[in-house]
Parts: sequence; C-alpha cells; structure tokens
Amino acid sequence: MLYFSFTLLVIAILLTACVNEEKVKYTRYFTDGAQLYKTNCQNCHGANGDGLAQLIPPLTDTSFLRKNRSQLACIVTYGIADTIKINGQTYNFKMPANTNLVPIDLAKLLTYVTNSFGNKQGLYDVSEIENHLKKCR
Amino acid sequence: MTFKQKIFFVLTICAVFVSCSSSNKKLPIYGEREAIKKMINGVEVVDTLYQTIPKFSFLNQDSVVINNDSLNNKIYVADFFFTSCPSICPIMKKQMLRVYEKFKGNTEVKFLSHTIDPKHDSIPVLKNFSNKLGVNSMQWYFLFGDKETVYNLAKTAYMSTSYEDKAAPGGIVHSGYFLLVDKNKRIRGAYDGTNEGQVNQLIDDMQVLLNEYQTK
Repeated sequence: MLYFSFTLLVIAILLTACVNEEKVKYTRYFTDGAQLYKTNCQNCHGANGDGLAQLIPPLTDTSFLRKNRSQLACIVTYGIADTIKINGQTYNFKMPANTNLVPIDLAKLLTYVTNSFGNKQGLYDVSEIENHLKKCR
Repeated sequence: MTFKQKIFFVLTICAVFVSCSSSNKKLPIYGEREAIKKMINGVEVVDTLYQTIPKFSFLNQDSVVINNDSLNNKIYVADFFFTSCPSICPIMKKQMLRVYEKFKGNTEVKFLSHTIDPKHDSIPVLKNFSNKLGVNSMQWYFLFGDKETVYNLAKTAYMSTSYEDKAAPGGIVHSGYFLLVDKNKRIRGAYDGTNEGQVNQLIDDMQVLLNEYQTK
C-alpha cells in the first residue's frame, strides 16, 4: 500500500512538473513574442493590434486567425499581396516580407499575436511552424 | 475701498493680465532671415525678409495641379512619405489622421503629403491610398512629383531629409517630421510625426497660429 501511494505521488509530481514546464514555455514565448512584435509589427499594426483605417488590417479578427492558423507563419515570412477579408472589411494593400525571422522567432511572435488583442489560441511550437513553412504557397 | 472691493480689484487685474498674455502667444518663425532696406513714403526703413517655401507645382490624387497659389490664405501641415513604407510611415499617417480629424472641414487648414517614391506611388495608387485612409481630397493632398524636385524641396525648403538607401526598410530613408507652414509660407513649427506628445503640441500650435490671423 505504501509503495502504491509513493508511486502515485511520483506520478503526480511528474505530471505537475510537465504542466508547469509547458506553462513556463508559453510565458517565455509570449514575453519574447511581445518584444518581437514591437520591433517587427507594431509600426503598422499598432500597439493594440488595431491596424490603420482600411489600409492595414487589425489583428483582432479571432476567427480569421483561427481559420488561417497554418497560414500565419507564411504570411509573416513572405508578406501578402492578395485581397483579404478581416472583420468583414476587405484589405488589399501589400504587406512586406519579414524573411529575417527564423522559425523560433515566428513561434514566439505568433504565440504572442494569437493570444493578444482578444485572441486565445495557446502555444505555437517550433515544430508546428516548421511544418507550416514547408507548405507555403 | 472695502476688503471685498480690494479683492475684486486684484482679481480683475489678474484676469486682464492672464488673458492678455495668452492671446499674445505667437509661434516662432523658422529658417534663414535677412535685413532688407526699403523705401516707405520716401523714408528708408529696415525690414526682415524671412525664408519661405519656394514655388512648387505638383499633381494631387485627383490629378489636379496644386501649387503655391492653391495654398494662399491657408495654413498647412506638410510631410514626406511613401505608400509602401513599412517603417515609420504608418505611425505618421495614424498621427496625421488624428490632426486631420481635429481640423476636418476647416477651410483655412490643408494637409500636404509628398510621396518620395513616385516610381511606385502613381496617382491612382495615391488616390486608392487616400480613399482607404478615408480622407477628403479637397483638404488633404497626396502630391505626386518628380523625385529630384521633391527631394530637393524636402531638403532646402522644409529642412527635412529623404534619400534612397537599399539597406533601409523599403529602400528610402526619410525623416518623420510634420512641418507647420503659415499663410505667408513661413515654417512655424517642426514636430516628430511618430511622437504622440509632439503631435499634440502641433494641434495646439495650429490653433495658436489660426488665432494670429483672427485678431487682425
């Protein structure tokens, strides 16, 4: 019996450690992502992700970001010249490329963006970003 | 005089003093200046000749010619930008939009945004940009002109810089200043268009400048 409860305790400790590790990682990505956002995105998209008139789209369209989760890394890296619809409004001004950002930066940046401005999507992992980047159009 | 009367007297003096000092507030005049001698009624007097914005002629987003004469009897704010600029322009445009909203519909106030990338920013591109920004093309002009002319105007008239540099984001370096020009085409203020505090100062100063013309 003693042995059994000891095993349970060990499992419990390991589980919490794992959960905490995940949470620590998320916090670290989010914090670094905020800094990356400031230097790479904020000039255009604004400190509150509200964009600029009908020229620069806001980052507040939760359903767009959720639906296009697998496209976001490509959009940030290579920019976009297509017309997109955000919050029911069409935007067609070109977004420039940001090829200076490596996958780990993108993971942190997108973790920040998709968990700010009213979004709540959780962590972006580097492996997920690398997968998405392979399928860029 | 009773005590009450004394207090009233002092307060009145104070009020007069405060109101006088605020209505006398004037903006400085920037640029080179020189003393010139001229004859008025046969008497030689010394006057000051101030630096002014030289003659220019550009097309706006509606393909309408805009020159010095279009700005007679107007005060205006000028800046230099390009539509594909990823660095400071969106911040500047956001701030300029704030100033525009404050003076929207005021016939004495105009806005001039000179593109420094005429190769990309054709008149239709500027028109689309101004539409998307949601501004009136009768009050806010997006001006298209020969690159050398615009760069030169920025440098000599507005004391602003812009030049090409492949290493810079977007390929062009330029300063983010908003220049305030009075009805006599003299520069009365320069404000960092990326700094919210300085742009607030611009809004206050524009009101001060407009008041200068009202008292006469």
